[in-house]
Order: sequence, then structure tokens, then C-alpha cells
Amino acid sequence: MTGRSPSPLLLINLAVWGVLALAPLGLGAWQVGQLAQYFTYGLFAMSLALVWGHCGLLCFGQAVFFGIGGYAMSLVTLGMIPGLEAAPSSYLGILFAVLLPAGFANLLGRFLFYGKGLQGAYFAIVTLAIAVVAERLAINWTYIGGLNGLMNVPPMTLGLLGGGAEIWDSMPVYYLTLTLVFAVYLLLEALTRSRYGIVLRAIRDNQERTGYFGYDTAGYKLTAFTIGAGVAGLAGAVFVTQFNFASPPLIGFTLSTEVLIWVALGGRTMLLAAFLGAILVRSMENVLSETLGNYWLLALGLLFVLSVVLFPRGLIGEIIHRLTAPRRGVVGRNAKPP
Amino acid sequence: MEQLFILTLDASNFILAIVLVAMGLVIIFGLMNVINMAHGELFLLGAYTVVLVERAGGHFWFGLLLAPLVVGLVGLVVEELVVRHVYHRFLDTILATWGLSIAIKQAVVIAFGPASHTVTNPIATSIEIFGTPYPVYRLFIMAVALLVIAVTFWLFFRTAFGLAARGVIANRDMAACLGINTRRLDRATFAYGAALAGLAGAVMAPIMSVDPQMGLGFLIPAFLAILVGGAGHLAGPLLGAAAIGGTDTLAANLWSPVVAQIVVFTMAIVVIRLFPRGLAGRWFGR
Repeated sequence: MTGRSPSPLLLINLAVWGVLALAPLGLGAWQVGQLAQYFTYGLFAMSLALVWGHCGLLCFGQAVFFGIGGYAMSLVTLGMIPGLEAAPSSYLGILFAVLLPAGFANLLGRFLFYGKGLQGAYFAIVTLAIAVVAERLAINWTYIGGLNGLMNVPPMTLGLLGGGAEIWDSMPVYYLTLTLVFAVYLLLEALTRSRYGIVLRAIRDNQERTGYFGYDTAGYKLTAFTIGAGVAGLAGAVFVTQFNFASPPLIGFTLSTEVLIWVALGGRTMLLAAFLGAILVRSMENVLSETLGNYWLLALGLLFVLSVVLFPRGLIGEIIHRLTAPRRGVVGRNAKPP
Repeated sequence: MEQLFILTLDASNFILAIVLVAMGLVIIFGLMNVINMAHGELFLLGAYTVVLVERAGGHFWFGLLLAPLVVGLVGLVVEELVVRHVYHRFLDTILATWGLSIAIKQAVVIAFGPASHTVTNPIATSIEIFGTPYPVYRLFIMAVALLVIAVTFWLFFRTAFGLAARGVIANRDMAACLGINTRRLDRATFAYGAALAGLAGAVMAPIMSVDPQMGLGFLIPAFLAILVGGAGHLAGPLLGAAAIGGTDTLAANLWSPVVAQIVVFTMAIVVIRLFPRGLAGRWFGR
């Protein structure tokens, strides 16, 4: 960031968030509601961008944390947690929805990263397996509704112990979600720009070398994985208040791979690109799945392959990179994809 | 006693089916360091080749012979168009092949519809084993799997191709310096691995419902088998499949298929964590 003129990246950020803040003015209520739902997916995508794009942990089970968050929120706000029936508070739900997945990720990370440690592909396969197991568990656990899941999850409420004003209309939901997503974006952006973020990317690019510099690479990966899981859980919590249900697919393998596609197409190394990737793919799906029918998924799969092979920065990430990269001869901050 | 025998037979059946799928995977992974997430869909294509042959009026056995050739050819194309571009980006091979698997699966849905197909069982008789009837075709599958294992071991440990391939696995750069055409070897290996997946799909088709989702059900156990067994050695998938398949059959009989899956996956994760190089890596070294 130079002091003379605002950096291109800042301008892009202002443009994107500005447009999103003003978008409801030109959209119908239904579209506003849709967009608010896409923000939730975008939040989820950012959690994976942190874990995968910045720390190099290719997680095939990110939806496990999303799902735990969603179920936690549902259980609390439906008053199904023993001892907490009297307080179906949204705040408490969010607290649970962030802490439970983060705690689970922390335990899992302690098991997977320390000692001999699990590298690249092995981590991917193990998280994939965990996602499959988690979905099977959710289907067979009657307390959380089994195959049908939990229905009639209430929307967000403002009362401290539950009750109070419900945030139900599309407009308040839109701005609440946008504010939440923006706040998390700022936090994560600050995190990835800090010294901590630099070490994360160093681990991503060369774990061995970073270790030899004296950094506790396992510890860094553990915190990133934990934070990512917490953010994914938060996204899950917001999701259930928007859709009013929690069901086993939320916690499973398919959603885990979908979020990977959003992040890969958007741009794994940039939080903003990952966020926009989720919105882009979901809106394209909305528009194209009707006209293209079965061919939509075929096109998405091929586009995904193409993007992985030709644009490792992602489609949106590549555009942002072109716009913000310093001119020829100077190597930019994000010049080298992982 | 009879029950134990039938149980062992069931377990061997499942184990050998996993081996059939895992063999191709481990060859591709060992030689090229590529995790082929599209392997399940190559399996799928093998099964649908048989469906297509039967629909055209051909006999099952012709389909069984044709499937590995067709899928091997698909493997060759996939390697040329996609995989070779991401060799040097290890994690991206997972993504690229995953994208391929989505595309192939969807192409199958478009061509054949999402519903399941059935393939006629060519040997629809059973024989009595300890007084319990056992389908002959299952024994045939086990024979095919054993044959594939034998051929693959022969190929890799008794031929010039195998020597070159093992040279590349041990040290790719050195092998290239010694005049081994690694490019051609990669191509051949990927095609061979794909052909094995196609054969597996074709041979399993009569006892499964052939639908676009059938690939994933085998891919994950096969992956776990490789990771548990160790990817660095051809014996890895044998050990891993024995561990995975044996545990699964046992747990499914003791409790239920759901519990079995959870037990198997948990066991696999723990083993992978404790022995990152797999059981084979621990016992055989490298």
C-alpha cells in the first residue's frame, strides 16, 4: 500500500462492498433474499480460502464444520439442548455454532498435525472420509432428526434469552447478513495480512523450510484450521436461520466439494475472490440450471478443470490479480500461486 | 463353522473387489504422484460399456473384454488433456481429477439418464458350499481379481516396462537421465490404471445396480485401502484392502452396515495417522 494514491485493491474492495450495500435498491424482495443466502455461502467459502488458500490445507470436509454449526444453532434455538430449553437465544446459538466446530477442528487438528503429521493428499482423503462418516452419523442420529433433519428452525431473534424481534423480512436479513459477512471479512483480512498470515503462506509454500526457521508449523496450521472451522460454523448458523431447517446434506461430502469448487473458481488465495466465487457460482447455477438443465453440472465440472489447470488463482482471483499487480518487472505480493 | 466360512468368503469377495479398484489407483499414485479422484468414474464407464454392449445386442463377455480397452483409451485422453498439465502441482491433481469426475458422471447422466440399469448375470447359478448356496459369479469375480493382481505383479516385477516404472517411482529424475522416456511411461501407466478401473466396473456390473453414483461407493474404500496399506508399494492395496474389507464385513455382521462404515473409517483414519507410510511401508520398508 503506497501512501500516494489509493491502491487498486482498496478500490476494488470499495466497489464490491459498495455495490453489495446498494444492491437491494435495484432488486426485488425475492432476489434480495436470494443474495443474502449467497452471502452465507460466501462466508463459508472464505473459511475454506483461509484454510486451503492461505495455509495449504486442502480440506475435503469443510462442510462438517458448517453442518455442526448449523445443527448447533438449530438445537439451541429450538430449545432442544438439555438445561438450555428456556433460553432459545440466537446469540447463544451462534456462540455454540462457532465454538463447537472450532473445538472439534482443534481436537482433530491436534490428532492430525502433530507427531509425524499428515501431508497434503493424505489430509484431503482423511477429511473426505470424515465428511462421509459425519453425514452417515447425522442420518442415523434420531436426536438431531435423522434423515429428515430439524424442521422449523426459527429466524434470528434479538432478545437476549430468545424471543424479541424476529429478523424475518428479506431487507433486514440482507443487511444483517452483509454486516456479519463484512465484519468477518475484515477480521480475516487483517489476520492474513498480519505476520501470522505471512507465516501461514510460508507454510503453504514450503512447510519444511518454514519449520527450519523455527516456526511451530503444526501450531500455525492448528490455529488456522480452528479459526476456519469457527467461521464455517458461523456460516452454518446463519444458513439455518435463513432456510429454517438443518439436514444431513449440510454436514456431508457433497457440500464440502461444492465449496471447494466455489473457492477454486473464485480464487483460493484471496478471501474476496473466494467470497465472490461462491456468489458467482450460485447465481450462475440459479440462472443456468433452468436453461442448461443437465448440462449445467457438466459445464461446471469442465469449467472447474479448466480453471484448475489454467488459472490456479481462480477466475475472479486472476482478474483481481491482473488489476492490482504492479507493472512488469516488479514481483507482486501475490505474484506466485501456490 | 459353515457360517464362519461363508463370512470369510464374503469378506474375501469384498476385499478382492476393493483390490481390483485400488490396484489401478495405487499404480497411478505410486508412479505419477497423482491422486485420481476420477477413478470411480472410470469404474463407472467400465460398467456402462457393458450396458451399451448389451443394449446393442452384444454378449456380456464381449463387453467385459471391451470395457478395459475403452476405458484405457479414455484414460489416455484424460492424461493427455488434463493430468499432464498439473503433474508438478500435486494438490491440483486432486482438484482437476475431481472436476473430471463431476463432468464424466454428469455426461453419463445425460447419455443414460439418472436411473439405474441392470446387467444380466452371465453365470446365474450357485454352488453349494457347506450346504449354503453361493453364487458362482462371485467366485468368478474373485478369480478375475486374483488374475489382475498376478498380471500386475508380473508386469511390474518381471518385465522391462516394470523395471523402468519402478525406476521412475524410486527416482524420477535419475530414471530420466538414464534414458527412460518418463513421458511415455506416464501415459502408459495412466492408461493401464484406467483400464483396470474399467475392467473392475465391467466385472462388478452384474452384481450391482449400474447407476451414475456407483463409482463413489468404491472409490472411498479403495482410497482408504491404499492409505492404510501404504501407497509406496504394490502390496499396499492388498494389505489395506484386507484390513478395510475384513473389518467392514465383520462389523456389518456383528452390528449393522452403518456401524461398519463408521468403524472402518475411524480405524482407517487412526491407522493413517499412526503409520503415514501405511502398513506396507512399515513392514516392507521401501
